[in-house]
Amino acid sequence: MLRLQAVGAVINMMTTALRSRKSLYFYIVVIAIAFAYSVNSVSTVAVAASSITFGLPLAMAAMVGIMCERTGVVNIGIEGTLLTSAFFGFFVAALSQNLIWGLLAAIASGAVTGLLLALLTVSWKMDQIIAGTIVNILATGLTSFFYKQGYSLPAIFPRWSIPGLSDIPFLGRVFFQSGPITYFGLILIFVLYVAMYHTAWGLRTRAIGEYPSSAETSGISVKKFKYINVVIAGAFGGLTGAYLTLELVGSFDRGFSAGKGFTALAIMIFGRWNPIGALLAAIFFGFAQALANQLMIDGLVAIPGPFINMLPYVLTIVVLAFSAGKVRGPAAAGQPYEREQA
Amino acid sequence: MFKKFKKIAAVTAAAGLLGLALSACSSAEKATTEADCGTEKAFCIGLVTDIGKVDDKSFNQSAWEGAQQAATENNGFAKYVETQDPKDYAANIALFADAGYNAIVTVGFLMAEATTIAAEKYPDVKFIGVDQFNGGASANYSGLIFPEDKAGFIVGYLGGYLTKTGKTAAIAGGPDSIPPVRKFIEGFVAGVEYASQEQGKSYPKASSVYYTGANAFNDPAWGASTAQQYLDQDVDVIFSAGGKTGNGGLARTAQKAGAYCIGVDTDQWGTVPEAQACLVTSAMKLIPQGVVALIGQVKAGTFAGGNFVGDVGAAPYHDFDATIPADVKDKVAALTAKIISGEVATGVKQ
Repeated sequence: MLRLQAVGAVINMMTTALRSRKSLYFYIVVIAIAFAYSVNSVSTVAVAASSITFGLPLAMAAMVGIMCERTGVVNIGIEGTLLTSAFFGFFVAALSQNLIWGLLAAIASGAVTGLLLALLTVSWKMDQIIAGTIVNILATGLTSFFYKQGYSLPAIFPRWSIPGLSDIPFLGRVFFQSGPITYFGLILIFVLYVAMYHTAWGLRTRAIGEYPSSAETSGISVKKFKYINVVIAGAFGGLTGAYLTLELVGSFDRGFSAGKGFTALAIMIFGRWNPIGALLAAIFFGFAQALANQLMIDGLVAIPGPFINMLPYVLTIVVLAFSAGKVRGPAAAGQPYEREQA
Repeated sequence: MFKKFKKIAAVTAAAGLLGLALSACSSAEKATTEADCGTEKAFCIGLVTDIGKVDDKSFNQSAWEGAQQAATENNGFAKYVETQDPKDYAANIALFADAGYNAIVTVGFLMAEATTIAAEKYPDVKFIGVDQFNGGASANYSGLIFPEDKAGFIVGYLGGYLTKTGKTAAIAGGPDSIPPVRKFIEGFVAGVEYASQEQGKSYPKASSVYYTGANAFNDPAWGASTAQQYLDQDVDVIFSAGGKTGNGGLARTAQKAGAYCIGVDTDQWGTVPEAQACLVTSAMKLIPQGVVALIGQVKAGTFAGGNFVGDVGAAPYHDFDATIPADVKDKVAALTAKIISGEVATGVKQ
């Protein structure tokens, strides 16, 4: 009897899930991938894998924005964090000839940029847009000034094939033949999601982002929370910078991050300040980029390159226009918090 | 929300200006000093980069090397300005022109229009436009152009002999509306096809991806991701051309055992050491030599304007010298001569 009830509950849950709009999108995506795979498996796998490659740094950088804005600090300095951490990651790894030191240096330097932002915005209550800009200018100036040609990494982080899983057609190459930072980053995004919506820390963070004085009233130290979150976010940005230089490219150049920090802000809004939403948005954006490449690679359509290059942006606008509805960020983002004096 | 973005835009613009002011000026070694520029005895050379950087390991860097060498040879003074935004082309040129510089080198096809206008405005200054075709009549403006299709063809021909999977590809950091970019790529495609026919094989046409946008030359991560997308489709020869974007593609290709990559503009063996595992050669434009020759003309008073066609070629094989079969090397050498002389046409639209 009990077993029947359990089965009934599961069926009930499944039918509800099946009917929901989100799962409708999921089926459409699965069917589209299956169709594309049956037509041309090699290209489909390559495009799907590239969607992750293009999308992952944006998703990870968007987490920086989410963590900061959820706690009431607008961070437009993500670009600076990426650039700084890629710089330190590359040069520490190149000079020590050890990738792990590079990774740690990248994460630490990312955290330092977060600390700087926290100092400027939380302690000194500076305008947050200006503070983020300062981080960006500092990063651009310092990394350009100290950049020297002629250094190279001993290697880059190799791809790890997960035994068993990596042999699955399609999914194997797309998800289970990646580098360590890719796995780690993806796991962290899910951890952040759970932490944000299912832990006390997450609840407090969101409360501060919406209504800091009320959070303070309930005994939360707003200042401390902001500091912790912005610094952790910076470390996350550092991991992203490490991914770019130590796992994806294997080199560093001036202006290396090439605007990814700003695109990440758009991804954050596209994903509605939700880690999973931003991950999906970033993969979608990455997919559009990979698709644009593939259209040119196959040369099947005679559309001029510049128009094909617009694809990610045009698709994003279209999707936003049709699916977004009303998007609202954390209410207290951008406002310096002053504790009220009784 | 909107208000926030307006603010971001304004602050970013201000920051950009500040950044420009901070990073704009860096001087080189001094034969004469900058203060002398505009006087009788001084010979001053100014170089304005395209939105790429002067150490891009590619065309901006090559042109700057040429300018420095010309300064040494002519006992002159050389200085550069890095352009941060295409809107600043004219202002950056004016920095040098107003200071009485003798020769101004502007780098990149995209600066052609700004250089043409500047040449009319400053008739006493000699302008050298790297990668710019001078279609006008100004006698004080000379385009330094290259038959990029020939360089692309030679390395494509080599690629056609090296590929094992038969799949070859090109990554262009830059849109096909920029002739030097397009000619490199189309030359490469034609070269692969020529080699394929010569071997009696029916390789698929080499595919190519062009990157457009503000970061077209400056996005290594895009280049690397695109290279990976190719490698996932069994492409084993990748011609990665275009500033830092191209460098990213080279570095990524080096990670795949058995894959070959080909650099561009200069011999990238030295400038992109992380690509040495795959870098068989580079499609070179001898930009420094062209710049030196033209500045020499300025100094000698024989500068005539119009267009100056520089030389192209393939870079040495370096470590691959031992692994490329001797008969392939002979074939490439023979074809190089024929391509340079024009005996074999690339068939690429000029």
